[in-house]
Amino acid sequence: MSATAGINYKKSVIDALVAGFMALIVFGPIVGVVLDGYSFNAEFGKVAWMVAVVVIGRFAISCFFQTEKGIAMAFRHANNDEGVAVRLPDHKSKLLWVVPLVIAIGLLVPFIASKYVLTVIILGLIYVLLGLGLNIVVGLAGLLDLGFVGFYAIGAYGLALGYENLGLGFWSMLPIAALIAAMAGAILGFPVLRMHGDYLAIVTLGFGEIIRLILTNWTSLTHGPNGISAPLPTFFGLEFKRRSRDGETFHEFFNIPYDSAYKYMFIYLVLFAVVWAVLFIKHRLVKMPIGRAWEALREDEIACRSLGLNHVLVKLSAFMIGASTAGLAGVFFATYQGFVNPSSFTFFESALILAIVVLGGMGSTLGVVIAAFCLTVLPELLREFAEYRVLMFGILMVVMMIWKPRGIVRVTRTGFAARKGVVK
Amino acid sequence: MDIVLQQLVNGLTLGSVYGLIAIGYTMVYGIIGMINFAHGDVYMVSAYITAIAIALLTFFGIESFPIIIIGTLFLTVAVTGAYGWVIERIAYRPLRNSSRLSVLISAIGMSLILQNYVQLSQGANQQGVPTLLSGALRFNVGDGFVQITYMKIFIIVASLIGMGVLTYIIQKTKLGRMCRATQQDRKMASILGINTDRIISIVFVIGATMAALAGVLITLDYGAFDFYVGFIIGIKAFTAAVLGGIGSLPGAMLGGLVLGLSEALFAGLISSDYKDVFSFSLLVLILIIRPSGLLGKPEVEKV
Amino acid sequence: MSNMVIKQTLLSLAVAGAATLAQADVVIGVAGPHTGAYAAFGLQLWKGAEKAAADINAAGGLNGEMIKLVKADDACEPKQAVSVANRLVDLDDAVAVVGHFCSSSSIPASSIYEEAGVLMVTPASTADGLTDPGLPNVFRVCGRNDQQADVAASYMVGTLNAKRIAIIHDKDSYGKGLADTTKATLNSYGVKEVMYEGLTRGEKDFNALVTKVRSVDADVVYFGGLHSEAGPLVRQLREQGSKAIFMSGDGIVSDEFVSVAGSPKYVDGILMTFGANPTSYPSGKKVIEAFRSDGYEPEGYTLYSYTAMQVVAAALSNNNLDPVKGADWLKSHSVQTVMGKKDFDSKGDLKVSDYVMYEWNAKGEYHQLN
Repeated sequence: MSATAGINYKKSVIDALVAGFMALIVFGPIVGVVLDGYSFNAEFGKVAWMVAVVVIGRFAISCFFQTEKGIAMAFRHANNDEGVAVRLPDHKSKLLWVVPLVIAIGLLVPFIASKYVLTVIILGLIYVLLGLGLNIVVGLAGLLDLGFVGFYAIGAYGLALGYENLGLGFWSMLPIAALIAAMAGAILGFPVLRMHGDYLAIVTLGFGEIIRLILTNWTSLTHGPNGISAPLPTFFGLEFKRRSRDGETFHEFFNIPYDSAYKYMFIYLVLFAVVWAVLFIKHRLVKMPIGRAWEALREDEIACRSLGLNHVLVKLSAFMIGASTAGLAGVFFATYQGFVNPSSFTFFESALILAIVVLGGMGSTLGVVIAAFCLTVLPELLREFAEYRVLMFGILMVVMMIWKPRGIVRVTRTGFAARKGVVK
Repeated sequence: MDIVLQQLVNGLTLGSVYGLIAIGYTMVYGIIGMINFAHGDVYMVSAYITAIAIALLTFFGIESFPIIIIGTLFLTVAVTGAYGWVIERIAYRPLRNSSRLSVLISAIGMSLILQNYVQLSQGANQQGVPTLLSGALRFNVGDGFVQITYMKIFIIVASLIGMGVLTYIIQKTKLGRMCRATQQDRKMASILGINTDRIISIVFVIGATMAALAGVLITLDYGAFDFYVGFIIGIKAFTAAVLGGIGSLPGAMLGGLVLGLSEALFAGLISSDYKDVFSFSLLVLILIIRPSGLLGKPEVEKV
Repeated sequence: MSNMVIKQTLLSLAVAGAATLAQADVVIGVAGPHTGAYAAFGLQLWKGAEKAAADINAAGGLNGEMIKLVKADDACEPKQAVSVANRLVDLDDAVAVVGHFCSSSSIPASSIYEEAGVLMVTPASTADGLTDPGLPNVFRVCGRNDQQADVAASYMVGTLNAKRIAIIHDKDSYGKGLADTTKATLNSYGVKEVMYEGLTRGEKDFNALVTKVRSVDADVVYFGGLHSEAGPLVRQLREQGSKAIFMSGDGIVSDEFVSVAGSPKYVDGILMTFGANPTSYPSGKKVIEAFRSDGYEPEGYTLYSYTAMQVVAAALSNNNLDPVKGADWLKSHSVQTVMGKKDFDSKGDLKVSDYVMYEWNAKGEYHQLN
């Protein structure tokens, strides 16, 4: 069809009327008849408005997609089915200077940002960690995990319980929690390795729910829904409290006035360092045989097994590394919040982390970082919308998926070429 | 003895309701391989429409139970079906050629939209419907008794009829054949002249009408609901669908019954605190033994 | 690339912040679940606080300054509570907060308010763990779970002479806390419960649990939780032919309880503990009528929220709008509110709890038992 065919207004009007009719059926009862006890109040004015908006909007969209620009856009959308972009083997990124710049700005953030902004950024970084962890499991190894929040909960409760029962602080629990989460990943990984795709999804979902239910019900250990307090990190043994029960506090030692922002600054700096460490490790892992094996297994399991790849080990390693990253994130979450209870670890949280990975572009590290900040900062920015906040969030999720179904950042990979003199 | 029998009745009613909602998950999964996370919220919408329909009918002075129930069923099924169609059209069809995970995220977004849209238009408060059908059958068993309300019997009968009609449509009619053809091979079906986009829409509408049937039945029985009620029941129904073998229609019904019965028996005889832990563990166990669920076909691995 | 996002965020947040700072009013946060599963209670909190602030502003404000309310949504999630508390303190420059609703949100938020020297008065968080740490800035105008449990337990043992008591809770901090303290109080009276189980919030099918109540042959069922679960629970109890007396706490105080239960006949004879009738105070009557003339029934926590705002106002206006001094002042002075005179002890709890027993009747109304 040629683009110069002009706009068929009759078609647009029909489209608009059909949309209006559907809007009437859909909005009519729910918006128009507001229940009040066993009776109701009629609000048909609102329905009329909403239907009018739908009719006009549908008409405009229908016209738009008949213009040259619209056709081009629809064409682009239908043909955006690109896979991984492969770069030349000797490709050197011209953007390497960005890394030190980001680090420098990142180090400056705590000293210029206000406390509220800092807490939002900390939350963003925690989700970056979670996203990076799940990215290994879902993005690289192709194992759909809907219960990722379970490992996050293990990390968070690890810190709180370790402090309460064993007297272990933030620094000792940081590695221990990562280890425990990795073990949990292995325990979950073993039985589910036989399952494929969506069966795996529901089993992991079940696993996440089981962890949350145990945290809720095992009151004698976890204090159930009342939650449990978690310790703050210490700076070489100095506490970030106003007053300390034993020993000096940070502000006393350095003889500066107390400010509650110090603890967030410190958490931020440690977290910032950990995120970079994880980024680096992940970056290397992907280029190592294990990372290649994850992706190969994602693409074709049978081929990999025929080639002698130990699929159990490969899948387990993905599960464990992903889980340990979530464990780290959990520790930071607990210390940042100073308190954990099971309601922070619902299925919705798993869905949010999955949304970060998918929105970021499966397998893309940079995409995950951007998406994590989008999805954590967005609800805070949307606070201006008050009660429409979550509605807006949902709409944005759908719109973003339709707009960029492959995620924000396209995955790129440097191609291989045999080095001279190595291959015979 | 009477207690165990009573728990069996409880499990049967709960299970048939899970089964009805699981059908929506399983059919959608079968045809486009996506987990429709907004399905639980479609059920929630149908609960609201049930209450609205009852309020409207009583407002117009209709009092007889059969007319109210038929009117409510008709209205709810029609409007909820429209929801199924609109949701598919807006949130899923533009993503038809994208990865399944993109659709999954879109579905999660849709679920948030539905919950908050209903909350904003209907208010966040708890809603209820009046008791329309009261009274119960009472059987004496030994020293105790088993009491089954008429409403419970109505639920079991109505869901059996609903499932029967659906099975007939899928197995015997032309529409059902087109659905099955699309499910087996979408590309081939479209080459053979089936409008697969339309079939997919129809499958969403069918799933929504089954959820609507469940919505009417549960709302009349329990009487209480709010905008958040779809979440838990959605997860349970999804579990039931997987338990029975996702993509399989009888599997969804069987999975629902197994889940309902196991929940009721475990909660009643052991501990209601760990009831959900038990159901999920049962799911894991069954999937370890049968990786494709109870009635699912084993996946054929192509080389 | 991520620094771009941060920068943009910083910028937009700074703009938003500057807009808020421009006003020279007294900013008071109303924190609670304005969205999510508990949004109905968030609305009650907001309505009460809004009305109180409007009344105070109409009467000249606080030492001439107008109260400006900020809606702070925590959706009853601790994560969001921390975030929104920091926002209130940092961006909105709030001096006081009415809220939060859920105890699990109030507890982590309270330490942020303490560090920032912000006065916090919660209308609804009854968990003992909120005031037990002894933060100087935390107050509540509702009772503690243990005060409520005391009334319930002594009524069950004393008046009802119950022997077989089944305790059910909703596994949430409020409901389970109430059930736990009631259980402990009962045990201290020498009565051992015959059943102690939790149900899942958000579910509506409790038939299995109800059958279990029948099997232990309970004569009283005590439920710690909210009306959203209490309604179906009591309906299913009656539908299965159980005649056990149903008793609960202030979580079921809502007109919706009747519609949720399916019919007024199901709530007949249900007992509950709740603060003494607010309408019994002359000052309360006027406010309630004002609410009703606006077409809003001030149920549940609405008046508590109104009271909390009055407490905040009294503390601020008597101390030159200094919240830290105001917090100290509250511990030695009593405040006249729509719910009578309120005195606080050193922990910030009410000195006198006014929990009494109420009974629902077949018309779906509740009245105080003497």
